[in-house]
Amino acid sequence: MRLFEYEGQEIFAKFGIKVPRAVLVKSVQESLDAVATVGYPVVVKAQVLSGGRGKAGGVKIAANQPELVEHVERILGMTIQGEKTESVLLSEKTEIAHELYAGVTFDPTNGIPVLMFSTSGGMDIEVVAKTAPEKVLKLHLAPTQPVRSFRILDFLRRSDLPPGLLPKVSQVVQKLIAAFYGADATTAEINPLIVTPDGEVIAIDSKIVIDDSSLARQGITPRFEGSTPLELRAKSVGLNYVQLKGNIAVLGSGAGLAMATMDMISHYGASPACFLDTGGGISSEKMAHALRICLATPGVEGVLVNAFGGINNCEWMGRGIADVIDADRPKVKILVKMRGHSQDEGWKLLEDRNIPIVKLGTTEEAVEQIVRLVKEGA
Amino acid sequence: MAILIKKDTKVALQGMTGKMGTMHTKYLLEYGVNLVAGISPGKGGTFVHGVPVFHTIPEALEHTAIDATLILVPQPVVKSSAIEAIESGIPLLVVITEYVPVHDTAYLKQLAHERGVKMVGPNTIGIISPGKTKVGIMPGSIYSEGSVGVVARSGTLTHDIGATLTGMGIGQTTCIGIGGDPIRGMDFVDVLKEFADDDETKVVVMVGEIGGTGEEQAAKYLENGYPKPVIAFIAGQTAPAGKKMGHAGAIISGEGGSSASKYAALSKANVKITKTFSEMIAAVREALAMEPATAKQLIGREHAAGR
Repeated sequence: MRLFEYEGQEIFAKFGIKVPRAVLVKSVQESLDAVATVGYPVVVKAQVLSGGRGKAGGVKIAANQPELVEHVERILGMTIQGEKTESVLLSEKTEIAHELYAGVTFDPTNGIPVLMFSTSGGMDIEVVAKTAPEKVLKLHLAPTQPVRSFRILDFLRRSDLPPGLLPKVSQVVQKLIAAFYGADATTAEINPLIVTPDGEVIAIDSKIVIDDSSLARQGITPRFEGSTPLELRAKSVGLNYVQLKGNIAVLGSGAGLAMATMDMISHYGASPACFLDTGGGISSEKMAHALRICLATPGVEGVLVNAFGGINNCEWMGRGIADVIDADRPKVKILVKMRGHSQDEGWKLLEDRNIPIVKLGTTEEAVEQIVRLVKEGA
Repeated sequence: MAILIKKDTKVALQGMTGKMGTMHTKYLLEYGVNLVAGISPGKGGTFVHGVPVFHTIPEALEHTAIDATLILVPQPVVKSSAIEAIESGIPLLVVITEYVPVHDTAYLKQLAHERGVKMVGPNTIGIISPGKTKVGIMPGSIYSEGSVGVVARSGTLTHDIGATLTGMGIGQTTCIGIGGDPIRGMDFVDVLKEFADDDETKVVVMVGEIGGTGEEQAAKYLENGYPKPVIAFIAGQTAPAGKKMGHAGAIISGEGGSSASKYAALSKANVKITKTFSEMIAAVREALAMEPATAKQLIGREHAAGR
């Protein structure tokens, strides 16, 4: 889950990284009440999850009250990359002598955390990495080993950081690594990390992504980005659902299977109304939720259930489908392809209700059949 | 042969006394797995379907050797359970549990690497060498013994392709789900190396999906030449960009990770790329120098698969 700048800065502060004085406001009135805690000049920063807010005009400096009102008013109404700005951060303006970049993320090729550092901060680091790769230094950090401070110093000395700054910047980088591990982040980035003329090192922006599987142990309430009401409903019961624009809902007992089913639906000339992955460990209640969400998807004319009793069990899944049939009597065509553990018991529940089943046929055959059923029904 | 696991592999099940553990003990025994021990702290001295349960792996090791362990414990204790297995010197771990924190996986992957232990998963269905044994939660009946190696990220897609191959009378040496998470133990390259050395495996089917770089890394490895034909299918050809498909690693972000980029990389590495299962089956048949499927085989399929 991506964090807002102000949330990331709270984490940085918790790990001892200096951040600017700042206050979060949601209206012009709030900004007038709170600005004194920061003082003029103040930086007004849109709190959005997407990048590119600077270019979009989402960051402005206010030297006085009229400017504050003007900027807060305009930025709060802004939509940046499709995302509405709900709050702004009023942040202390700092003098800048150096702009650096420091970040920790997982190297996707080997799953090992990698520390990245550059003295070309303030720019899009991906662009820097592409145009001047020598300006982005990288150090892999084995997660089984403690991070020794001399290693970080020895890494940073290879950069063109003024030598006098080495100890202080190194300490901040070490705290950033601690924050990456301590907050279960998949990415923890400071861009820019600035050095003031007095030699203070301050994180004036934050980009933190927390691992979705770690939210519970971090005590973070999940936030669902850009979701439709049905997507939110699915998430609230632990289902992975993406609403699409076609006519056949795909309900799969795994993401890969559901995606492959979608691909073949498109191949056979129809298009998916939604993607629903139940995940493992599905109960009959969860299956019932899943089917009801598929049936409620706008534009749906058919539902293809494609499931395996692996960690799941066909009897539990069949029971969930049967419960929806009995209670809701849906008119939409439903085809179930299901096999695996306890398949006979599962099939029986569906046969008793005249639900068409693909027992031993392939996904491709099931796709052809549901496409045909929908065409005939239309 | 087959890879990673064979007929007499001695298997332990961590988390045997839980609901899932108990159920899968039964399924494993039904498949003929040499299940030598269950591990459940506090439940040592009991039995599940006749299999002795021990408090810890070291205790179990006082009574039996263990070649592989199936980890079916709740997410909060996956890390400690896997560390127990690695530090006890179990050579192969299969971590079934999903929603494992990525930092835990990264730690385990590194520890396993340092100790020379193979880890499959997390968020996987495990491994099956059909007709021999399985260290996983897959329904054994949908797989059959033969000469095709299958490696896939998605668990249910492994089932589906195993079942589709079986239905067409094409058996498998070993089918392995490497897990859907962005960071996982063994990856495509590691498994491809195992299949390369396995005489029984004549053809490898690799099933990728959008997101991550595992398929591209496999392509890079395969570019240098591979001793047997490789056939690929990538799921998520029609997935919208920027939407996370499932809870795991399947998302197209930026310019990488799309099925198109993966297909392009694999195609360059002389991998036969296929867009549907019927294309895939046709490619497997061709690689095995089998006749194209006849109508009779297509009809007989349901019977064969139902055995």
